[in-house]
Amino acid sequence: MTEASPPSRYTPPDPRMPRVLDVRDLCVELAGRTILDEVSFFVPKGEFLCLCGPNGAGKSTLLKTILGLIEPKSGEVVRSGTVGYVPQRKTFDRDFPATAVELIVANLRGGWPIRIKPEERELAKRALARVGGEKLIDKNLADLSGGETQRVFLARALVTDPVLIILDEPTAGVDVGGRQELLTLMEEISRSDELAAILVTHNIAAIARTAERILYLDGRVMAWGLPHELLGKERFSAIMPSPRDADASGAAWPQDDE
Amino acid sequence: MSFLLDPFSADFMVRAFIAGVVIGGLCALVGVLVVQRGLAFIGDGLAHAAFGGIALGLLIGPALEKNRAIAGSARAMTMVRDGSWIALPFTVLIALGIAFVLRRGRLRGDAATGVFFAVSFALGVLFLGLRPTSAPPVNVEAVLFGSILAVTPSDLLTATVVAVLVAGVLILVWPKLAYALFDRELAELSGVRVAVLDYLLLAIAAVVTVVAVKTAGVVLVSAYVVIPAATARMIGRRLSSVAIIAVVLGAAGSAIGLLASYHLNVASGATIILTLGLIFALGLAFGPRRRA
Repeated sequence: MTEASPPSRYTPPDPRMPRVLDVRDLCVELAGRTILDEVSFFVPKGEFLCLCGPNGAGKSTLLKTILGLIEPKSGEVVRSGTVGYVPQRKTFDRDFPATAVELIVANLRGGWPIRIKPEERELAKRALARVGGEKLIDKNLADLSGGETQRVFLARALVTDPVLIILDEPTAGVDVGGRQELLTLMEEISRSDELAAILVTHNIAAIARTAERILYLDGRVMAWGLPHELLGKERFSAIMPSPRDADASGAAWPQDDE
Repeated sequence: MSFLLDPFSADFMVRAFIAGVVIGGLCALVGVLVVQRGLAFIGDGLAHAAFGGIALGLLIGPALEKNRAIAGSARAMTMVRDGSWIALPFTVLIALGIAFVLRRGRLRGDAATGVFFAVSFALGVLFLGLRPTSAPPVNVEAVLFGSILAVTPSDLLTATVVAVLVAGVLILVWPKLAYALFDRELAELSGVRVAVLDYLLLAIAAVVTVVAVKTAGVVLVSAYVVIPAATARMIGRRLSSVAIIAVVLGAAGSAIGLLASYHLNVASGATIILTLGLIFALGLAFGPRRRA
């Protein structure tokens, strides 16, 4: 078993820290094509990791392998507790006739509820309160804005008390106002010492405001280090929007200090 | 009152009424699920597959009628004569084929359905043409447009048994199935066996279609599947309430349509579909508006 060994100019987390996720020598092939090659990294308890890379870099494949939806060819994924997942907004049917509480309880039960018990409703309410969405509990998913929908999905992921939450492009397709709310929520998660997160995003504002560490993937781990070691660097900038295209919040774009 | 009771003076009308209500409700229930799965035209596709199966059954049926075991059973003889003994496994196989193609992910649901639908229908036409000239004539119009007024007590029993079994299975798998219909990936993450449910749903749709073809006909059966489900989607806020509304609308539309056809002295199958269409239009006009 080889320990993750990034290039020395980047700073990985302290290997002595307790880990919520350990990805070791992961190789994944899909339809005979190698998508992930010897990918190794870990996520310490409470750390907010931003996963970046160009299109086709294997980010979604990595997430699905971590979640157990894809069987790796070799290597292993070790999780130390429940993993919550917020999917991309485009993957689910936004017109599905369902209320927020049903969606959240479905994650608790592993099946769609026909009747919701009072204790389940209370848990859903608490999860929604954590994302400031108590009022959304009985709303239909079709009636929610993009930001509200993602908040409900965040509550859905939080209801099982995960140690790690995976956010797959949560701000994609969300209007500016909703994006600001989501960024604030993600900042709160980032500050939490209990909950770790992996955020896949192309939104530079999201990275600048939340990342405690960045993992740059392109089939292999190209860089794994602290935000100031990557943000603004030439190779990293090539796959990210320029500061002018970044979020209207005026995301900080650290200067290249090399 | 006589407006409502007069039609039921004849036994065949009572049978047609019950069959319409049972088939209307059953197709609507399955319709909610297949429409949600993005396979609104599966009813149409499977009905045309059933046509291929019925034609194959009619082609090789006469040889089987000579078999003593079959000749001794009235039910077996009915199934051989109407071709349903082959139509059922044939349509289920086509449904499983569509599910297999869908799971391979290379074709969308409508494309997969379209391919199987066209090939099965062409096979049906071919099989009918291959029947010997001495074979009893086939009422193609009844196969295509249905014959709800010709429903026999045996057909009615079959439809009722199928309805009870399908409803039972769907209630049993509802939580897992509904989760998979919402988002396959999230359901899989929760341990739901999405592939098994895909095959099960399409096999159920095939069985229901074969039973419904007898009353609704190949061409019109998809209306029983799609229209009540589409109407209920505009009204219901939860999947379970959408299913209940669809079943009520499917059953009520069939009942009202049949009574209307009796009093207007027009084709019953078409009148039922038009009634369902009218209910859809009312839902569209007066149903709740959704956020744009």
